[in-house]
Amino acid sequence: MKYKHVQHLYWRAGFGLTPKQTETLSKLDKTTVVKNLCIESKQFTPLLVDTSELEGINPQIIFKNPKKRKSFFDKSIEKVKALNYEWIERLAHPNELLREKMTLFWANHFVCFDKNIFHVQQFNNTLREHALGDFRDFVKAISKEAAMIKYLNLKQNKKQEPNENFARELLELFTLGMGHYKEEDIQESARAFTGYDFEFNGEFRLKTKQHDYGFKTFFGRMGRYNGDDIIDMILEQEQCARFISEKIYRYFVNDKINSEHIELMVNQFYPNYNIDELMYFVFTSDWFYNEINIGTKIKSPIEYLVGIQQIVPFQFKIPHDVLKVQKLLGQVLLYPPNVSGWKGGQNWIDNNTIMLRLKLPSVFLSNAYISTHEKGDFSDSFKREFKKRGIKNKVFDTIPEWDIFNRYFKEISFDNMSENLLLCPINEGTNQYLNDLSRISKSDFCVQLMSLPEYQMC
Amino acid sequence: MDRRGFIKNSTLASSLFFIPSFVRAFENIAANKLGFKRLVIIQLSGGNDGLNTIIPFNNDIYYRERPKLAIQKKHTLKLSDELGLHSSLLPLKRLYDEGSLSVINNVGYPNPNRSHFRATDIWQTASHSNEQLNSGWIGRYLDQFSEQSHNAIEIDESLSLALKGERKNGIAVKNPRMLYRTSQDPYLKNVLNHYDDAHLNEHNLGYLYKTMIAAESSATYIYETSKTIKSSQDYPNFGFANQLKTTAQFINSGLDTRVYYSSLNGFDTHVNQPNIQKRLLNIYAKSMASFVDDLKSQNTFNDTLILTFSEFGRRVKQNASNGTDHGSANNVFIIGGQLKTPGLYNNLANLNDLDANGNIKFEIDFRRIYATVLKKWLEVDDSKILNTDFNQLNFI
Repeated sequence: MKYKHVQHLYWRAGFGLTPKQTETLSKLDKTTVVKNLCIESKQFTPLLVDTSELEGINPQIIFKNPKKRKSFFDKSIEKVKALNYEWIERLAHPNELLREKMTLFWANHFVCFDKNIFHVQQFNNTLREHALGDFRDFVKAISKEAAMIKYLNLKQNKKQEPNENFARELLELFTLGMGHYKEEDIQESARAFTGYDFEFNGEFRLKTKQHDYGFKTFFGRMGRYNGDDIIDMILEQEQCARFISEKIYRYFVNDKINSEHIELMVNQFYPNYNIDELMYFVFTSDWFYNEINIGTKIKSPIEYLVGIQQIVPFQFKIPHDVLKVQKLLGQVLLYPPNVSGWKGGQNWIDNNTIMLRLKLPSVFLSNAYISTHEKGDFSDSFKREFKKRGIKNKVFDTIPEWDIFNRYFKEISFDNMSENLLLCPINEGTNQYLNDLSRISKSDFCVQLMSLPEYQMC
Repeated sequence: MDRRGFIKNSTLASSLFFIPSFVRAFENIAANKLGFKRLVIIQLSGGNDGLNTIIPFNNDIYYRERPKLAIQKKHTLKLSDELGLHSSLLPLKRLYDEGSLSVINNVGYPNPNRSHFRATDIWQTASHSNEQLNSGWIGRYLDQFSEQSHNAIEIDESLSLALKGERKNGIAVKNPRMLYRTSQDPYLKNVLNHYDDAHLNEHNLGYLYKTMIAAESSATYIYETSKTIKSSQDYPNFGFANQLKTTAQFINSGLDTRVYYSSLNGFDTHVNQPNIQKRLLNIYAKSMASFVDDLKSQNTFNDTLILTFSEFGRRVKQNASNGTDHGSANNVFIIGGQLKTPGLYNNLANLNDLDANGNIKFEIDFRRIYATVLKKWLEVDDSKILNTDFNQLNFI
């Protein structure tokens, strides 16, 4: 497998890799590499935070006593933040790489937000568990998640007073996409999901008294359908496989859809809806490795952050800074902007986030200093000046582990560093400037490369 | 650029200090010319309790539903025979008396949403409650009618949805000097001076370079233009006051910015509301008073309109923990020197006629306020931004 292709695969299926890893994998053929990638993700390791201080609480007390309720949720919100830190940590050191990347993808498909740590955690692990499984089981499991039942008002969906919120998003955002159903289908399917409720521990419960057992007309057919029946009927539509394939294509392949490739994916995905097989198909397809797909996507903030960690691991001295940096970059895990999730692509980039992204690698790794030392220049007055001034108002306090970087890049020449760190060709003018810079310190050069617009691409 | 070039450029930049101020003023003529109107938007985040802000001190239902929370008549600042201001809002009473404050009651929208999350989106994108828009109303204003990112500035570290358009975005500036210094990093400057224009296209990498260029140019413009202005106005020592001070500095320096956006957080008063709201309204009113004085001293108040809103009001009935839960319709404050209907724009809705959740029913759609501001103040076609024709109001 070509070196560049290994990098491409691992940027899309993961968060990049070290030169050594790329080197090792490039000696294998494509099928083997992709097969191993899938096999490594067969396991499922739930992501859990320590919730012991919140366990054993009587839900009745919480709901009757507003003070206890507030205290529970204050603690719970802190735990949700802790789960966010753990998730970022997991992404930087995953055992099941593809599963974790898919979990991130699905979290922006089945978008949900909640404040109860037990429900948030359970939802997150349902995403992880089904991430490479059967899409049919996946949708059904999501419809019965406590966090989702709250988020899309299934809890308010009652036989006498149906609430259409979930039914609408199920059709529009989760399975078919706009324009592939009628308003009537929403109204009728909402009735099938009436009575959905959950126990305090997060377990699904159907309130039979509020469930509508009557006949529903859905997609022109009539029956006493329940929620699972509706999901089965939606998935009978090939459009569902197409809708999901397009979303996967935009996330893993290219912002711009190639309809021929989509049809190939639909043929693979429909009617079994096996996600694992679909991903294997995409990653082994020749078109996945077309020039046009390599280094042409803008990294999400999480890909960007975790990607830096793969090259130069670093720790925040203040744990809360992990959250702060996500907020500044515009993507806080577990806090989606709305039910349609992050738009991605160019929407990640505005006037503030671009400057931030260009400046952050130096802030994290080299006291906000980016060398401008040129070849043949023996004094670096800027650096001296910079050091003299010291760092005032440092935004993030970090501990970078350059030793690890030095080990990774010991055998790598300066020339090969850019191909290891950047996936797209460097703008010609920028490249000329880079060529004039001195090549003495690999760490300086690493920060210089990470501070380019090109580094934003994957 | 080599280092010598960089030093040369930076001396050039600092020599701007020595250009006589009338030359600088001339440069900014467009923004300084009479009638360059600016809009300042303030969001009271969390859902301010409108009923305890503009208090219906003769209303039995109000006192019946809020046995602990209702504010007694003698503690309010009387605006009319029915309504009084929260005592923390004394500085706003002055504006009210001089005709610079208009209070619009019962502002909301059909099928109100009571999630902070979603309600904020609705206000920021000007969407219907059952509609998901991905661009903000100010962002769409930029899409249609502006050239530069700094035509809309948020006084914060990151940009809200309100200022994100389909194609263009505003810029967030908390500290103009910090932003400027980031943009002037010598290495990044060098990249900007070397990149090859010819190969930039609209696609992703080209978009990144173009945004980088625009951000640098706006950061420089904002800093260079505003740094010469030093305000002599005293501001109280609050973060929010500081945001308004920065806003005044920008306005008074003649920055070519049409819209400023700030927010004050913490209004989600489910528990122990009285102290929290008292403190926050005090911060709001004192900061606002300094801001208005600052603008007046530079003759920019008349060309500035200040709109204050909150994503929702609160439940009429108090809850069991001395607080209130999420409600719906609420009051909006309009502050300015050219108001057509200063004072109370309309009466408070009937507290006998609440919605199914016990909340005040809306009378005026918030998008009518936006439409009015867009058309009559920013003088643009509001329907192009709001995608619907809303009836104009008469406050300006």
